[in-house]
Amino acid sequence: MDAIVVNNLYKSYHTAEVLRGLTLRVPEGEVYGLIGPNGAGKSTLVHLLLGFLRPDRGSLRVLGASDPSRVVGQIGYLPERLRYHLRYTGREYLRYLGQFSDLGGPELDARIDDELRAVGLTQAADQMLSTYSRGMLQRLGVAQALLHNPRLLLLDEPTTALDPAGQREMIDLLRTLRGSGRTVLIATHYLDEAEQLCDRVGVLFGGRLAVEVEAAALRAPGRAVTIRVAGLPTDLVERLRLLSPAVRCDGAEITIEPNTAELQASVVRALLDANIAIISLEPHVRPLEELYLQVVSGQPVMPPAQEAAPGAQDNRPAARRSRPGDTLLRELLWREDTRDQRDDAP
Amino acid sequence: MLMSSILRTLRFTLFTLLEYVRSGRVLVELAATVAVFYLFFRRLGTPMTAEYFFSTAGLFTLALTFYSASTILGLGDRPQGYLVLARRLGRVGYLIGLYLAALAVVSAAYGAVSLGVALYNPVQGLSLLGWVAGTIPLLLNVALLSALLLLLAPMVLTTGWRLAILAFVALAFSGSLIGGPTLASLPPAVATALDVLRTLFSTPLLPAFTGFALSVSRDYQGLNSVIPLAQLFLTLGLLALAVYTFSRRELIFTGA
Repeated sequence: MDAIVVNNLYKSYHTAEVLRGLTLRVPEGEVYGLIGPNGAGKSTLVHLLLGFLRPDRGSLRVLGASDPSRVVGQIGYLPERLRYHLRYTGREYLRYLGQFSDLGGPELDARIDDELRAVGLTQAADQMLSTYSRGMLQRLGVAQALLHNPRLLLLDEPTTALDPAGQREMIDLLRTLRGSGRTVLIATHYLDEAEQLCDRVGVLFGGRLAVEVEAAALRAPGRAVTIRVAGLPTDLVERLRLLSPAVRCDGAEITIEPNTAELQASVVRALLDANIAIISLEPHVRPLEELYLQVVSGQPVMPPAQEAAPGAQDNRPAARRSRPGDTLLRELLWREDTRDQRDDAP
Repeated sequence: MLMSSILRTLRFTLFTLLEYVRSGRVLVELAATVAVFYLFFRRLGTPMTAEYFFSTAGLFTLALTFYSASTILGLGDRPQGYLVLARRLGRVGYLIGLYLAALAVVSAAYGAVSLGVALYNPVQGLSLLGWVAGTIPLLLNVALLSALLLLLAPMVLTTGWRLAILAFVALAFSGSLIGGPTLASLPPAVATALDVLRTLFSTPLLPAFTGFALSVSRDYQGLNSVIPLAQLFLTLGLLALAVYTFSRRELIFTGA
């Protein structure tokens, strides 16, 4: 069953049309990342799914219900802004919120203890929320969202307004949700977050889903990487150059372009065999970033259905041939690779 | 099912009250109560009459209702509300919880004034039963005004509708401004239309006016006995309208 089904959804505020024919499906148990620039309509969609807003046109179903207020008790929600009732201690706040979800007694106390422990706030449980840091408040937000053991989690910009350390903490915390069997929708404009946490990622742009990609494709190596090392002996430079013309050495930097997983592994192996200390390995542009930039810059993104004209011969390698559910990212990468191959051809 | 809805609502009332107290906003009510007691109810030369007590306390509680209900409803109109509304409590429990919290604060202030009067300056000839007889319509008026303020809250009604209702209320109260010679100087058609509209819009407010009079007189004979019922039904009507409207509104909290 799909936990979220959105069909041709339109939503506007006064004259500003935010969602324009959005269609989206999130199967139960999937962690779905919805990325898009600020103002793309991510929070609007989350509020529509919670029943705070109503669609102008189109339909949505949440956990099988067309009226989200009927299933609101089965949804956990982490709001975008760090706005909490600050005149309570962490434990008091969770207790009240639990009671609003019909929890009570020793069961609620046990749930509160579990969630506080899970988000690392046991020590601060009896402090007033006004004394909490942003990171602590956001972790409390996760605890309250999970308190009633919801089937669906809606996380709206979970790392916004956090410093880098806080963002890292939050991503680590959210990573623990993977494999819990819950359906999770993460609305974010941080590509890192979506890349690391989600099974599938959709780019919301222009009021609709511009493209959807599978996480496996996102974790493919970047098309170009730079490896920084402590130092490169001349003989090793020669050996690396022999691996492929794609490998270029410049001082203590090795650039592989175009990159492949195999070539990258060979270079790293050669470095390790020569006892060279690797300082960093950085992809120039990550696949998701590349796709995202392509979408938001308004470059034409061809939907998979239009990829091959009917009857056209498919010359792509079998592993890259389009299958139902294949992602556009794969298609785009394939196009890039074939173009590179054409460019390399004599 | 109903019982758990009621329990959730009462817990939210408690939650709101606790926040209200801890935020220090309740100090305004405390200061106002002490000031009113000192100015109007402290022991002076002549003993206090029941009429004086109920008319003064009635005006005080109505004035306090404006402040307390507006402040508490303002607490509900903040983005913090999303977290609460995303739970089983729902919109009805949320709105009624805020309403009950406002009612509790004003009732507590009235209770404090009454207790102070009973202890330091007892009203001449007012028994406990007499106090209850005057208090019922007085608190029903507080409930009625709170319900009207709830309906007029920005999170419940849109600006257009709020202005329209305020215009109706202004028209109902316009008798003292546009009456007698002013009314006579208007063209007959306009004067008649104004008179009809005024009667039309002031009729729903009758329970509030008569409730105030009943609180002062405590005379429940004849038709007066139905005044509290009329107050109650008008209150419930306003609450139902507020709940209905709120359940259909798009929730866009923008407060601090």
